[in-house]
Amino acid sequence: MMGKLFPTQDIGSLPKAPWLLSFLRGKEITSSDFEHLRKWVRVSGFEEESQTLSLLAGPRTAEAKENVRKLASMFSVRFLESTGLDYVYDGEANRIEMYEHPVRNSDGFQFHGNVRSFDNKYYRKAACVGKVGFRKPYHLDEFLTVKQYARKGIKVPVTGPYTIAEWSFNEFYQKRLTPAYTDLRKLKHEAKREFVLDVAKEIIRPNLEALVEEGASWIQFDEPAVTTKPDEVPLFVEAFNESTAGIDCKFSVHICYSDYRVLYPHITDLRNCSQLALEFANRDGKKSLSYDQLDLLNEYDDHREIGLGVVDVHVDDVESPELIRDRILHATKILKDPQRIYVNPDCGLRTRTWDIAHAKLCSLVRGAEMARQLIA
Amino acid sequence: MEAHLTGIFPRSDQLVEATRAADRGKATQQDVDNAVHLDVRKLLDLQRTAGLDLLVDGQLNWQDLFRPFSELFFGIHPGRLARWFDNNTFYREPIVTDKVAFRGNGLRRYFQSQLVREQTGLKAILPGPFTFAVMSQNNAYQTLADLVDDLAHATKDTVAKLVSLGYRCVQFNDPQLCYKGSSQDAWVLARNAYDTCAKGAGAVTVLHTYFGDAGPVTGELLNFTVDYIGFDLYSTSLESVAQHDCDKGIGCGCVDGRNSLLESPEDIRSLISRVAEKLNPKDLFLCPNCDLEFLPYTVAEKKLQLLGSAKRLVSQQE
Repeated sequence: MMGKLFPTQDIGSLPKAPWLLSFLRGKEITSSDFEHLRKWVRVSGFEEESQTLSLLAGPRTAEAKENVRKLASMFSVRFLESTGLDYVYDGEANRIEMYEHPVRNSDGFQFHGNVRSFDNKYYRKAACVGKVGFRKPYHLDEFLTVKQYARKGIKVPVTGPYTIAEWSFNEFYQKRLTPAYTDLRKLKHEAKREFVLDVAKEIIRPNLEALVEEGASWIQFDEPAVTTKPDEVPLFVEAFNESTAGIDCKFSVHICYSDYRVLYPHITDLRNCSQLALEFANRDGKKSLSYDQLDLLNEYDDHREIGLGVVDVHVDDVESPELIRDRILHATKILKDPQRIYVNPDCGLRTRTWDIAHAKLCSLVRGAEMARQLIA
Repeated sequence: MEAHLTGIFPRSDQLVEATRAADRGKATQQDVDNAVHLDVRKLLDLQRTAGLDLLVDGQLNWQDLFRPFSELFFGIHPGRLARWFDNNTFYREPIVTDKVAFRGNGLRRYFQSQLVREQTGLKAILPGPFTFAVMSQNNAYQTLADLVDDLAHATKDTVAKLVSLGYRCVQFNDPQLCYKGSSQDAWVLARNAYDTCAKGAGAVTVLHTYFGDAGPVTGELLNFTVDYIGFDLYSTSLESVAQHDCDKGIGCGCVDGRNSLLESPEDIRSLISRVAEKLNPKDLFLCPNCDLEFLPYTVAEKKLQLLGSAKRLVSQQE
């Protein structure tokens, strides 16, 4: 892969396979579930079809569920590889969701109920009710499965410490510090800092160490919350550095749907971060090429790689390879260095159908190839 | 010493399920309305039991602070999703497409006064005209000032109608005023807007600020023509509040709507003492710092009860 221009990568999530959900939820495996499996076996060459069918037809023991989960991971790996991507993972096939998965598998959290995101949409929000702690390396099993099975490069997505803390209520740390503060604004700020840094030290770092110990060579921090409170960007930087210091691995950060100006200059202090993978296509429209915020990297002399978001994960329209090519070429003009550009979707594709996700990724790979031919 | 709520209350699991069923085409709007009414009645009972003074209906069918005004005002339509200040919550940006004016009807759908027995103890909550204008996409007016002015007039007409429906208090939620600091010009046009929509309202008026540090701008806020100014005491550094002799009442946002940690009534009492010392206000009332909708329902219930307990404790001291 060394030297290849515009390597292509996934960002993380895919939709859950319908047969996996039916099996785990104790529902009947429908003909459409089977059809889904057969269809994508034909496309991806997934070799474990008969084993999967046999398990789906059998009793739903704990062992069978574990095996079906593992097969769902492998199925997603082949699905992603069949699009031609250079770097893949397993579509987060066995994570409940990017926030709930780490929180449910770590100590110190308790779910209190649902909170509105917008309109009639809600999400489950946990409170930190005790000192946070490491319970188990919650990504290790999936990583070992992917490592054994994948033919392409592997990048492991993990939810970053700032996002975990920002999306949780902070009871424990605020209560602990309450006697020391009369100013509640300062109290909240300092309690947040302790919370974020403890998530970094006590949860994320041991997870990273476990992954690297088993051979992970590239880990991506997903930090969608990082610009929610612009004055806390330095705290995100501190937490990232705390999590990764001294760990021998390539690290990158994925951020999306944000004004990236608020990241600078603070993120130039990220010490162990080789790449920023950012959403752009969503803000670009079909024709205009408004990847202007890439210029921030020039302005702040930031020479990291960029993971360039070239397909919008919130719409079903599949971007043409030509549009993707043009976006890559436009970014190349701004950054003036094609070697630094990786190509990816804006974000995880879990809200799209399998058909749309596949079509978008195939288009992305073709667009990158077209750009490569023009630049090489 | 009074205590009341300040904004949108979370929906019960039953109401959430009704809205989801309606979204999937498995329930009717009437089913949702019935579930809303059940929730409003329960919330009114919770407030009575807790000993709160002015009752609110919880704005349980409001999708966000601005959405009802797409129906109640001419010239406004709901647009794209955008982040609601520094929260992991989103609102639909109002798109201003034409001259804004109050339509004159439709209020009863969003202000549930008909469900409240006590005709003297009702509080209505409206978006402040400044925040409304700044958080909108303005496709119709030459200047922000023109938009703020028309929103203020539409709000004034809305307030008059609410007063005729029996509301004793009208609160304007205007978080943008303190969020990131406002220019001198912005303060002037916001103050003018309140001269339009709040002066002579025929009801007690509250300008509630939240999500930002009101400390450095306390002097500006005290110049507004309202009876009370509400402070978010979890975002305001009391150290930055200059000593004032205040000729207004102060709404003390002393229960945190953005953290599930339950405050102790004793801590609230001590906080209120510090506010009283700093501002020497004409009157004080206790309230959450912001909407409780950022909390799960069961936690919001506990915070509501806590507000009542804190009120009793603080009142004993008076």
